[in-house]
Amino acid sequence: MRLALAIGTFLILAIHGVVFYNQFSHRWERNQVAYFDQARSLAKSEAERTSLADRKPRIEQIVVTSFGETRVDRCTTCHIASDDPRFVNHAQPLRTHPYSPALGDLEKNGKWERRHKFSEFGCTVCHDGQGRGLSPEYSHGQDHYWPDPLLGYATQAGWRKDFLPMLKGKAYLEANCAQCHTEPGFRGTPTVERGRQLFFATNCYGCHKIEGLSDGTIGPDLSEVGRMWKVDYLWARIADPKSVLATSIMPKFNLKEDEIRALVVFLKSRKGKNFTETEIQRFKVKTAGGAELVQATLRPVVIKPGEMVAQGGKLIEDRACTACHKLGGRDGGIAPDLSFQGLLKDESWIFAHFKNPRSTVPDSIMPAFRFTDDEFKAMTSSLVSQKSVPPLGSPAATYQALCQRCHGEKGDGHGLIAEHLDPYPRDLTNAGFMNSKPFARLVDSIRNGVPGTSMPAWGRILDEAKAKELLDHIQKTFVKDPRKEPPVRQVDDKNVVAMSKESMDRGAGIFVARCAGCHGKKADGKGANALDILPRPRNLRNGWFVNYASDRRLAESILYGVQGTAMPPWIDYGLSRNDVGDLINYIRGINPKPKGDQNAGAK
Amino acid sequence: MTVNLKRSSPGGAQEPGRRSMLGLLTGAGLAGSGLLGVISNLVFIKPRATYGQPQRFTIGKPDDFPTGSRVALQAQKICVVREGDKLAAVSTVCTHLGCTVGLSETGFACPCHGSRFDHDGVVTGGPAPKPLPWYKVTLAPNGEIEVDKDTEVPSGSYLSL
Repeated sequence: MRLALAIGTFLILAIHGVVFYNQFSHRWERNQVAYFDQARSLAKSEAERTSLADRKPRIEQIVVTSFGETRVDRCTTCHIASDDPRFVNHAQPLRTHPYSPALGDLEKNGKWERRHKFSEFGCTVCHDGQGRGLSPEYSHGQDHYWPDPLLGYATQAGWRKDFLPMLKGKAYLEANCAQCHTEPGFRGTPTVERGRQLFFATNCYGCHKIEGLSDGTIGPDLSEVGRMWKVDYLWARIADPKSVLATSIMPKFNLKEDEIRALVVFLKSRKGKNFTETEIQRFKVKTAGGAELVQATLRPVVIKPGEMVAQGGKLIEDRACTACHKLGGRDGGIAPDLSFQGLLKDESWIFAHFKNPRSTVPDSIMPAFRFTDDEFKAMTSSLVSQKSVPPLGSPAATYQALCQRCHGEKGDGHGLIAEHLDPYPRDLTNAGFMNSKPFARLVDSIRNGVPGTSMPAWGRILDEAKAKELLDHIQKTFVKDPRKEPPVRQVDDKNVVAMSKESMDRGAGIFVARCAGCHGKKADGKGANALDILPRPRNLRNGWFVNYASDRRLAESILYGVQGTAMPPWIDYGLSRNDVGDLINYIRGINPKPKGDQNAGAK
Repeated sequence: MTVNLKRSSPGGAQEPGRRSMLGLLTGAGLAGSGLLGVISNLVFIKPRATYGQPQRFTIGKPDDFPTGSRVALQAQKICVVREGDKLAAVSTVCTHLGCTVGLSETGFACPCHGSRFDHDGVVTGGPAPKPLPWYKVTLAPNGEIEVDKDTEVPSGSYLSL
């Protein structure tokens, strides 16, 4: 009993001793003692030696107030020789911070003078890391919860292993240089500058907004991305977008390692307000129009009249069109195949689509890029020259070559790029819908396309016989039910109600009462119920489509419903022919007639 | 006290020599732990770092201070005195109530209550009770002057360059 007590008390003493040792013996103290010893042996005068003898280890800190919030940098507690030029060739932590003309340091009579004095700038302004930390793990920001690990030096345990080697290097420090040296083309930050060029050259600006640089709206705003994310995340987001977020629609760009690094460094330097900006400058940046700035940054290519096609092809390749589209062996898997665009669309359509994609396909997600008209013209002529039809053998092969990308292998409308199209590709296994439309109309949709949607006119590739063969194949393989011709309904070919303000007002009233639940108050197909419905309610603000659909078709769809969809037969719910006439007038009235011809490619 | 406790507990058949030895060892162990505990707490009371500006800092090259000049540094609250090859740092915090004293023809003058000091910081008038302290000045390895406000030196002790 007494023996156990005695052993117990000694155990407690031992634990106490270990805790005591851990708490009061610091690695930085040993570093400082080592520094004093070495400095004493290097000392040239007796005075120097005695002054060193007086010094005891203590926490050294630099308090920096001129860069944002107050920083307390205790880095020099371990890196105590960082400003002692005699320690150039020593090992870390007792090593002189390198002198370099690139940092603005000056050499005078063999002695260097720093441009960025540590007493003024501290350490974390340039290097990041946790200034107050006193152990390597914490001060270098290696614990998972520290947002700013030492740039280009420290990595964290949770980072993807295959990216670790790429996330090291001095280039990353430029992101912090750029917090003060903001001027584009600053000599000390070539990687930031390269990233800035790439941001425009690879069309990042089309989707992303950065205050004062671009105004894309499809992707997230990147104005403060460097403050919010660590370099590993930025790298993963660019190198492999889906690895971070499975639902990301960002394309995987065909970038080399050094290009990704430049982009990461550039994005890391986007931290919102930088150190040299005043509030009024910040306000100006925030309110500046992105479009003009993009125009000013892009370097337009001079197009020679004789080489339009070749130069346009090069532009299409250089500007990463294949990050989304399919062309010449590359496939981004997001947007339509351009390999035979010349057979589907004509020059004016392609040019208009380039200038403003939504002018031709109102719900397109394609960004409006800011190239010059000459460049667009060259790219257009290059696309018009794309006429390589894949070999069309059996109808099954034709389906695979032309239709599968959108309508899907199983014909269910879930093709590779379907989720990026609006309206969604038609579900060809929906027998109710397929058998409710006359055969002639299905042939027409294939040969002449559906204006305002992503369905192109295949007329130049598929003649009438081929289109019919294809439809037979679809009927057998996907629809499965035998073909039934729908009954011919008693519907007027022309709207019975004349177009007038009063008719439109009546139509608007009926629309709000009966249609807005699914088609939305704005008639844009985004009503409260829209998300529960597949196929989605038609966007009735799609001028191309509304203009293409005949009065007869609209009236029939409203009165007798659309089989296989959620559109009910309104004749059963008390809508008269005159009510439907008012509705048609309302729908036509809110859609100005678009200029041009969507199906020109087919003719 | 622990030792007494042990002795009062029932012993068994062990020899008294071994019993008291174990008792002593237990006592020593507990006393050691207690001592370590007291020391840790005492050390803990004194902060290792404060949040103010550092007390030892560099103020630039000796060439920045021409011979015969007296330069008051506002932020650091010192006056750098250069005389020939000698250099010193004198505090500019009044020893009366802590105002920052200004440079005057005859030395230093405090704007708050009119204390007067001569060039060496010795009180020549006013309510200040003590002369202005002088701080230790050394030459840092990178060639800059380093002032250590934690270490006072007798007035008149200069750093020879």
